[in-house]
Amino acid sequence: MRAVETETVAAPTIETKASESVSPPWQVIVMNDPVNLMSFVTLILRRVFGYSEEVATKLMLDVHEKGRAIVWTGEREKAEMYVQQLQSFQLLAKMEKVSE
Amino acid sequence: MRLISKDDGTWEMQRIRELEYLMLSKLEDACDPGGSQGAIERLLPSPLGRPAVDDKEDELVADWESLVHPDLRSQFKASIEVVLSDMRTITGRKRSGEMEYRLVVPKKHADDWCSALNQARLILHERHKLPEDELELDMEGGHEQWLAILQSEIYGSIMEFLVTRILWLK
Repeated sequence: MRAVETETVAAPTIETKASESVSPPWQVIVMNDPVNLMSFVTLILRRVFGYSEEVATKLMLDVHEKGRAIVWTGEREKAEMYVQQLQSFQLLAKMEKVSE
Repeated sequence: MRLISKDDGTWEMQRIRELEYLMLSKLEDACDPGGSQGAIERLLPSPLGRPAVDDKEDELVADWESLVHPDLRSQFKASIEVVLSDMRTITGRKRSGEMEYRLVVPKKHADDWCSALNQARLILHERHKLPEDELELDMEGGHEQWLAILQSEIYGSIMEFLVTRILWLK
């Protein structure tokens, strides 16, 4: 990803419900991409998940520096919806079962 | 080129020089992945980010390809059409012996512009195998790679403006 500087701390949303104890939750992961602008990735994380600027920036920097970031955890149907939304903004997004 | 956010619900590209105009006019071609499998897979990735390993994953990937990919294709195409329609309103005039162009765009089209510009950048990088850092570019790669980098940088500058000056404030 391309430049933009900031700092902050935060954590992605983790949804827990009784029904999830039956099936393992899924993680939505954004992978690093050398083309997408850092500001654009932050904007999309804010828009799709409603994260604050601080949380979205922290996650974007994790993607940039660590190669990937878990941006959300919860039930499969919602994970699919989020991955689709992220891919509609051309972010390199995927989903994984937490146990993987 | 100057990029300006205006109070009347539009943003404007002013003083577009010949080279920038040329790069803008190549946007439609740049958004076409053609036969580049890498570009197609980048725009329409698997939900797993890797090959499926069992029947359940096979089903997920198959559903994704039959249900999600058509939606994504349709959204990407719609955004390109909005941008091409805007670009047909570009005007030009001679200034100090050189052509300069101007384009006024509704702010409500900013998302479509970002989508089209980003599609083009992703495809350019795939198609021309551009390095992450342009300093790593092999000089033997020829002028097409340099032009692709220039094109991608111009599109990236417009995107940065749209993200930070228009979409961020929405």
